[in-house]
Amino acid sequence: MSPAPPLIEASSVTQIFAASDGEPSWALKNASLAVAPGEFVCIIGPSGCGKSTLLHMIAGFLTPTEGSLRFRGRPIEAPGPERGVVFQEYALFAWMTVRQNVEFGLKMRGIGKAERRDKARRFLDVVGLAKMADRYPHELSGGMRQRVAVARALVNEPEVLLMDEPFAAVDAITRATLQDELLRLWQEFRISVVFITHNIDEAIFLGERIVVMSAHPGTIRSEVRIDLPYPRDRGSAEFARLYARIGAELYGKGKETR
Amino acid sequence: MSSATPETAMAGGDAHARELETRFRLALKAQKRRAVMMRVGLNIAGIVLAIVLWEVTRFLPGVNEVLFPPPSIVIAEAIPMIASGEIPNNILVSLKRAGGGFVIAALLAVVVGVLTARLPVFNFLTEPLLHGSRSLPAIALVPLSVLWFGIGEAAKIALVCWGAFFPIWVNTFIGVRDVHPIYLRSAACLGAGRVQTLLWVVLPAALPMILAGLRQSIAISLIVLVAAELSGATAGVAYMMSMGHQLFRVDVMFIGLFLLAALGFLADRLFVALTRKLFPWYASSH
Ligand SMILES: Nc1ncnc2c1ncn2[C@@H]1O[C@H](COP(=O)(O)OP(=O)(O)OP(=O)(O)O)[C@@H](O)[C@H]1O
Ligand SMILES: [Mg+2]
Repeated sequence: MSPAPPLIEASSVTQIFAASDGEPSWALKNASLAVAPGEFVCIIGPSGCGKSTLLHMIAGFLTPTEGSLRFRGRPIEAPGPERGVVFQEYALFAWMTVRQNVEFGLKMRGIGKAERRDKARRFLDVVGLAKMADRYPHELSGGMRQRVAVARALVNEPEVLLMDEPFAAVDAITRATLQDELLRLWQEFRISVVFITHNIDEAIFLGERIVVMSAHPGTIRSEVRIDLPYPRDRGSAEFARLYARIGAELYGKGKETR
Repeated sequence: MSSATPETAMAGGDAHARELETRFRLALKAQKRRAVMMRVGLNIAGIVLAIVLWEVTRFLPGVNEVLFPPPSIVIAEAIPMIASGEIPNNILVSLKRAGGGFVIAALLAVVVGVLTARLPVFNFLTEPLLHGSRSLPAIALVPLSVLWFGIGEAAKIALVCWGAFFPIWVNTFIGVRDVHPIYLRSAACLGAGRVQTLLWVVLPAALPMILAGLRQSIAISLIVLVAAELSGATAGVAYMMSMGHQLFRVDVMFIGLFLLAALGFLADRLFVALTRKLFPWYASSH
C-alpha cells in the first residue's frame, strides 16, 4: 500500500542559532512532520520550543542547519505564493489600504487590474470586510486586521496556510469568531492549514491532528489525532478528555498516553 | 457574513441615524476649522507681539536705532526694495540654489542610503569615506570651493548638496536597514521579487525615517546657502546681508535675517503639508 504523498514533509530538521555569546543554541532538534493535502494540523508547545522556527522553515524563511524540507516532493528553498503565511500581528503593510494589501500578491504576480479588483473584492467579501476596502490597517480592530491578513494570503490561492499564533493578540470573543471563520474557509477552499497556538482549547477546536512539542531542546513530543466531527462542541465530555490528555502531554505529567 | 464589522455610513439606514451622521460630520468639520483658525491666529498674534515689543525698544534708554533698528524703520526700508524687485530677485536666486542643491542631495542620498543598507559589500566599501566626509562641516569647504570653482552657481549648489546629503543618507540607511523583517517575509511569501520588494515595501516602510532626514536637510540647506553666499556672490539673500554689512546698513541685514527665518519656516510647513497630502497613512497613524 502506498499512502498519498504528503504535501509538506520535514525530515529530521535541526536548527542551531548563535546565542548572544556566540555559543550554538539548539532551537529545534530532529523534528519530523508530514502534512497531507487538505489536512488541518495544529502545533502546540511551550514558549521557545521551536514552533515558529519550524513554521519559518516550511515557509522558506530559514534553511535548516541539518535535515530536509520538501513541498510536493520538491526541496523548499525560498518563500513562495503556494505557501501563504499569516503572522501573529503587524504584518499588514501600513502604507496600503485594505484593498491594496489584499491585491498585493496578485499585483506582484503581474495580474491585471480588473482581475485584481475582482478577486480582492471576492476575498474581502469572504472574510466579511468588503466595506473596509479603502481603510488603512491602523483604522481596523485587531480581529479585522487578522481577517485581512487571511484574505491577503488566500487570494493567492495557496495550497497551505501557515499560521503562527494568528489569533493570540485578539480578545476571546473575536478569537472564537475567527476560529469559526477559519474552519469555514478551510472547508470551503480545501487547503492544508498548519496552525501554531499556545492554547489547548484552540488546538482541539481546530485541528484534525495536534503535534505537541517540548522545549530544551525543541523536539516533537507526540501527536494526537482528533477524530471529533466539526463543528466541535467545547462542552462535550470527549473535548474535556482530550483537553486533559493534551495538557498532560504538554506539561509532561506522567507518561500515560491514554 | 461576519458580524463583528461595525458599519460607518448608513448605519441601519433609518432617518434619525442619517441625520445624526450628518450632524456629526458637520461638527467634526467645524471643530477642525476652529482648531486651524486658532493655531494660525495664535501664530500671527505671536509675530505681532514680537514686533510690538521690538518697536518699543526704541524708547528704551541706550538703544541705538542705527545698530538696532525698530521694525517701523526696517519695514519702511523693505517696501521700496520689494517694489523695485530687488528683494524678490534675491529670494529667487537663493531659493534656486538651496532648492537645487537639496533636490540633487535628496535623490543621491536616498539611492546611496538604500544601496548601503541593502548591499553589505557596497556598505563596507564606502563606510569609511561616507562617515569621514559626514563629520566635515560643509562650511569648512566654502573657501576651497571658491578657490576651485569661483563664485558661480554650480559651486553653491554643490555646497548645499554636500551639506544636505548626509542627514538624508544616514536616515535612509537606518530606515531601510531596520525595516521590520515581517514586512520582508510577507512580501516574499506573497510572491514579490527583489526590486518589487524594494519599491513597494522597503521604501514605504523606511519612509518615516527618510522624511525625518529630508526635514533636517531643509534647515541645513539654508545654513550652507548662507555660508556659500557670504563668501562670494552677486545676488541672493545672504549676499544682500553682506552688502548691508559693508555699507553699514543694519536695517538691510535685518531684512535678510527676517527673510531667512521666513524661508526656513515656510519650507518646513510646506514639507509637513506635502507629507500629509502624499502619505495619508503616515500622517494619520501617528
Ligand atoms: N534568530 C534567532 N537567533 C537566536 N536564537 C533564536 C532565533 N530565533 C529563535 N531563537 C531561539 O530559538 C528557540 C525557539 O524559538 P521559536 O521562536 O521557534 O520558539 P516558539 O516555540 O515559536 O516560541 P513562542 O511560543 O514564544 O513564539 C528559542 O529559544 C529562541 O530564543
Ligand atoms: Mg513563536
